[in-house]
Amino acid sequence: METRVRKINPNVLRDWFMSYLFLLPAFGFFLVFVAYPMLRGIYISFFNYSLRKFEYVGLSNYIDLFHNEIFIKSLWNTSLLVIITVPVVIVFSIFVAMSIYRKKEFARSFFRGVFYLPAVSSVVSITVVWGWIYHPNYGVLNYLTGLFGAEPISWLGNEKTALLSIIAVLITTSVGQPIILYVASLGNIPTSYIEAAQIDRASSWQIFRKIIWPMLMPTNLYIIVITTINTFQCFAIIQLLTSGGPYYSTSTVMYGVYEQAFKLGNFGMASAMGVILAVIIGIISTIQFKYFGSDVEY
Amino acid sequence: MRTVKKGLMTLLGITLIGTQLVACGSTSDSAKTTEPAGNDKKETTAETPKDTAKPVEITWWNFPSFQALDGEVGKYEKQIIEAFNKKYPEIKVNLEMITFEAGPEKLNVAIASNTAPDVIYDAPGRILDWAKKDLLAPLDDMVTDEVRKDVPEALWKQSMVGDKTYMYPINTAPFMMGVNKTVFEKIGALDLLPLDRPDRTWTFDEYKKALQAVKEKAPDIIPSGFFAKSQAGDQGTRAYIANLGNASFLNDDYSKIAINTDKAGAALDWIRQGVKDKLVVSGSESLTGGDVNDLFLQGKLAITLNYSPVLRAQNKTLKKAEFEDVLVPFPTIDGAKPKLEPYLGGMAIFNNGDDAKIAASKKLIDFIANDPEWGKKDLIQTGGLSARSSITGLYDDPEYTYAEQARDFYSNPPTIVDGYAEVRTFWFPELQRVLLGKATGKEALDEFAKKADEAITKAKAEAGK
Repeated sequence: METRVRKINPNVLRDWFMSYLFLLPAFGFFLVFVAYPMLRGIYISFFNYSLRKFEYVGLSNYIDLFHNEIFIKSLWNTSLLVIITVPVVIVFSIFVAMSIYRKKEFARSFFRGVFYLPAVSSVVSITVVWGWIYHPNYGVLNYLTGLFGAEPISWLGNEKTALLSIIAVLITTSVGQPIILYVASLGNIPTSYIEAAQIDRASSWQIFRKIIWPMLMPTNLYIIVITTINTFQCFAIIQLLTSGGPYYSTSTVMYGVYEQAFKLGNFGMASAMGVILAVIIGIISTIQFKYFGSDVEY
Repeated sequence: MRTVKKGLMTLLGITLIGTQLVACGSTSDSAKTTEPAGNDKKETTAETPKDTAKPVEITWWNFPSFQALDGEVGKYEKQIIEAFNKKYPEIKVNLEMITFEAGPEKLNVAIASNTAPDVIYDAPGRILDWAKKDLLAPLDDMVTDEVRKDVPEALWKQSMVGDKTYMYPINTAPFMMGVNKTVFEKIGALDLLPLDRPDRTWTFDEYKKALQAVKEKAPDIIPSGFFAKSQAGDQGTRAYIANLGNASFLNDDYSKIAINTDKAGAALDWIRQGVKDKLVVSGSESLTGGDVNDLFLQGKLAITLNYSPVLRAQNKTLKKAEFEDVLVPFPTIDGAKPKLEPYLGGMAIFNNGDDAKIAASKKLIDFIANDPEWGKKDLIQTGGLSARSSITGLYDDPEYTYAEQARDFYSNPPTIVDGYAEVRTFWFPELQRVLLGKATGKEALDEFAKKADEAITKAKAEAGK
């Protein structure tokens, strides 16, 4: 039987090598700064790792966490944060984008700039400003509500308003990028589709629901996934405005990770919290990819 | 093609070797972490003749314990190092300034990753915790008999674990309350303050009268402060409640929390009512100690509860309004002697496994604390009093004279309790619960005591392992 030897084109081989050579630095960075810390984090979560102590404890950290009422409250707060923030960011961003994408270039640039400004500014600076807005004694928010005769409120010191106050700040810092993306995506939808629907006397709502929304699906998917992950990982705003209080009402899983690791030096417990958070984000992202993922060609 | 292949193989080879090296380094680090740091410890004296000529490089991490010179943080420390190097040219000191906000976290990460500094100037809260975890080098060999006798027992308790000294005490100050004296002068209520009494002690009722006077005669000024947002400054709230309720934070053998008395609970209830009656700053559950002190420095608050001679000195340049600030102790129900928590600043050495570095670090500490020229200068630059009883009269200021006297009111500080780092995390959430009206003062203090006692027991058990 004759054996056929497949000849490899040297040019193809060279291209193959070169492409992997160019990928190597990025892959190296991925290994060192993403993959290794992630795997190490999972590994550490099975240890009682506090400062120089390193003792294998199996699933003990995970079991302790699910018996810890503060962690359970943090999970609940984190869920609330995501459940409220993500839809509001999506709806608000689409609303703003729909309002400005057909405006003249100057107006469009102006509004894009206005809404994008918080996204490019430092979260810390913005949060500090919000801290002053919410200040119970000298805050401008209490001044404004006072003009209508309302009593001053301790916005960040009240369980009913603290989480909502944080959500408000989170939304202002989160809508910039979605608005820019939606304006760009809306501009890419062929006008002929909308004009045809208008000729068929479709209402604005029908046009949005049947044409615009489906065509925004790839953008929706990206924004929903990114906003969800960012909201899960919200930290600076909570740290600066409430430090998780009052009485754990704004404590989130991410804030708990920080407290356990950097305040108490319980790196094992913090890693376990991080792993739980990563699993939750992974599950939710998979669901989002399944339900919002679709191929749209313009 | 061959050249490309050769280059690629070389690159992969280097990467593989590099990876192996990193892995080896990582393994040895892990090995270090699994062994208690103290196992290979050797006590090293400050005067080790063999090492004196060898060049040594040490790292000193410093919180802003010394006041900034010419507005530049770390400038004074650089001058210390310069002077130190004239005496010890063979020791190179690398200074890194850290902040009170981010520094503790940076230290935790450094310790966990075996990159802790050699020397640190800090307070007992953290230092004793590190000592109990066997991370520090003992300093007994550098404490002379003269110093041992000259530093009060209460301060040694904050510097030692068992019979070993881990912090070299340098500066101290009693934590008290700060009063905007100018406000009381303006409203003609100076006589309501206990300033005419030598020890300035006062009763809860006298204190309430003073607050009421501010509320009525200076409506723009908030009579008193309180805060419960984050851990910093917790000593102020602890001592305030303990004194208002004539209670102690800890029991006599430091094994349990003792502040959960009925009277202390009632004091906490009064604070909540005080917010409603506008005698205490509103929104205190969302304010930090820093926020409240800022209000004081802006002249908007009559009495702040987290003040000391050190803070008073540091705040001089930060005042946004012209006023005279004076120190008073926390009031007690019947005017009994108050119990003041002592602030103590001192230096410690991390045992990073290098005897030469430990010896060099001891020389630096000795220079900062005891050099005939720099010792006194350093103390004044901290704005504090000397930890040694014999060194007094550093400042020409009546408030310092009073602060010296108030050292008689020092009580056992909570920082010495086992598991202090965890214990303090339960404090503010419980205060928040009271301020939110979700619990009475007694209920909150009981809950705090329950959680804190568990943490103390756990820490004791771990320390005994």
